Amino acid sequence: MKRVAWLRWSLSVVASILVFGAGHPGFAGEAVTIEYWHINSDSFGGPAVKELVRRFEAANPSIKVNEKYQPAGYTGLIQQAQVAMAGKRPPAVVQMSYNLLAYAAESLPHYPIENFKQKDAAFFAKFPPNVLALGQYKGVQDGMPYALSTPVLFYNADLLKQSGLNPDRPPATWAEVVEVSQTIKSKTGKFGIYLQNPNDDWMFQQLVLGNGGQMLTADGKRVAFDSPQAIEALQVWADLVNKYKANPNLTRDEGENNFIAGQIAMYATTPAKIDYLKKTVKFTLRTAPLPRFGSKPLKVAGGGNNLFILATDPAEQRAAWGFIKFLHLPESITTWVQGTGYMPPLLSAADDPKALKAFFQANPLTKAALDSVPAATLWQSFPGTHGLEVTKLVINATQEILAGKRSVDAILKEVAAKANDLLAKP
Amino acid sequence: MRRGERRPPKDMAGLFAGIVRSVPSRRGAGGRKWTFASPYFYLVPAALALAVFVYWPLVQTVELSFYEWNLVSPSRRFVGMGNYRELLTSQVFWISVANTLLAMLAMCLATIAAPLAVAVAALRVQGAVRLIYRAVIFSPTVVSMAIASFIWLWIYNPMQGLIAQLVRAVGGQGFAWLTDPQLAIWAIILVTAWKTFGYNFVIFVAGLLSIPRELVEAARIDGAGEWHTFRHVTWPLLTPTTLFVVLTTLMLAPQYLFIPTQILTQGGPNQASNNLGYIIWEQGFEVFRVGIASAIAVAIFVGFLAFSVMHFRLLERGVHYET
Repeated sequence: MKRVAWLRWSLSVVASILVFGAGHPGFAGEAVTIEYWHINSDSFGGPAVKELVRRFEAANPSIKVNEKYQPAGYTGLIQQAQVAMAGKRPPAVVQMSYNLLAYAAESLPHYPIENFKQKDAAFFAKFPPNVLALGQYKGVQDGMPYALSTPVLFYNADLLKQSGLNPDRPPATWAEVVEVSQTIKSKTGKFGIYLQNPNDDWMFQQLVLGNGGQMLTADGKRVAFDSPQAIEALQVWADLVNKYKANPNLTRDEGENNFIAGQIAMYATTPAKIDYLKKTVKFTLRTAPLPRFGSKPLKVAGGGNNLFILATDPAEQRAAWGFIKFLHLPESITTWVQGTGYMPPLLSAADDPKALKAFFQANPLTKAALDSVPAATLWQSFPGTHGLEVTKLVINATQEILAGKRSVDAILKEVAAKANDLLAKP
Repeated sequence: MRRGERRPPKDMAGLFAGIVRSVPSRRGAGGRKWTFASPYFYLVPAALALAVFVYWPLVQTVELSFYEWNLVSPSRRFVGMGNYRELLTSQVFWISVANTLLAMLAMCLATIAAPLAVAVAALRVQGAVRLIYRAVIFSPTVVSMAIASFIWLWIYNPMQGLIAQLVRAVGGQGFAWLTDPQLAIWAIILVTAWKTFGYNFVIFVAGLLSIPRELVEAARIDGAGEWHTFRHVTWPLLTPTTLFVVLTTLMLAPQYLFIPTQILTQGGPNQASNNLGYIIWEQGFEVFRVGIASAIAVAIFVGFLAFSVMHFRLLERGVHYET
């Protein structure tokens, strides 16, 4: 019996160490350990994340931040976070892609940033309202916008010159893109443009927004991408691919590699690619804002991520908020922007001589993206249990449109009907 | 038939009987009880591991398939057979079923018939070339599936890829393998077949080498030609190997498809290359509908269970174990 009692006692000690063990706030005095999950690999901002964590810990000795790189992207990060949540050990701070906002706000238990809005009003006042809106869902500030990218048009200035075009005057509208592409094709035999087409709906939304359309109605109950503006916008992409043969229908990696190899003159994608493309291409690389629709004003969907607090422990939540505020200091934003190629959510940092002014002056390729930040609006995600399936429908619709077998009008009307059914489903 | 003495036991009960009999009984009645229980005792660690890591998750998967849930949301909704009903009417699900069956059929041809032919041919090559030849054929097997997929991403590139360059050299146009709805699934099958070819090849080589030379020589002496020797001696004696290869290929093919699908097409364009392995991941971890993903998993489990029972029944008849 004695042995059993001893065994029971030691088991309970082991169990309590496992449950309340290292790092649990309140167990070992005031020290708090929080986890920060991000998607910044070593070649994409990882060193900047480590540097920021080091500086934060130096300034806040009682808080330890364990940064964890999540290799499978944003959805992989959510998968892992859900596992951790199910085990009652959620990471304190995570990066959440803008297009997952509705899902995160509705279906992931989190501690909304809104809770700090009153107390820290001065902090929020520093951010442009269109940037703050990237983290708002149904009027609540669920996440804090952090990484921000606006689409840009990269172009091969040498190829434009070879075709007798002025490389200082890249196409400013989609109509000009068609003209320029046709000139390039006739002079060099190369393709005019490639609009990035990975497994997301970012470019689809750029076109719809750019032509004055919307993805969702104002009440959020129905999709709006079957409007005349949206159909006209997607027709532009379909025509570039099928009518003018200016845009080869390729996957993102293929398209990017062919741009790098000098087979395609222009490439619309994220400014996060600036560093990589600059190092890889063997021609004169330039950038321009995304082309517009005629005289309509530029409007783009912001890419990147919000920071979400998933911690359930109040001490961890406070530490997480302290960390998020630290990441948004002008000095921190400077390290972040230099390390990743994202645009600063704190637009004032771009003109600040102590922050990013020198960086932007020394990197003219970033100008087009920076100039587009005031035009940034929400990368729309869809509400309800089936919201992410609606996004999937949009991705599939894009692929069908580019395949060119049916009219844009028919495809979008059909997909919108399916999407509306999904939005109405419980 | 000297080597044919070690027949595999007919069934598990026979195997147990052998073990039980071989445990010497040291005490009286109590000892006999222990003798009876001992095999089960030895099985406990394995059975426990299976129960925890296989059967319990299986039970949970069945349970989850009746819910609309993402594993963490406070709103966990019981939908009964709702997820299964949705499957029956889901176009994407049936596209995935069709693509998976197509892949299994294609894999049977590409990774059973072809490796067998190559294995028979390879055994005729003599000298050092033989080893190089075998190494070259086997090498794709040791490359990880992810790396193989990236290699093929480059090969498939319709503008600068290897295939496009070859096609252009003879005056044709490159195919858009990954963005063409008709070609995308074939692009995935090809990578999977390329990767598994070498493994099956090695199994066939081993199977062929284990066939006693005397039998082949005896057939030759009796005047059988190449084809007759293969048809009446080699092929029947190779049936256990073939059964193994067929079953593993059919069972693994749907799983092998996942990585190339993920890297090459993500199920696109417009779901044209989706398949059962990928659709579970897509539903469970991309749109986070764990309930319907579980329903698909259960459907696949039931389907494959029926399939493998049928397979064993049919194929056992044609197998000669007397090697």
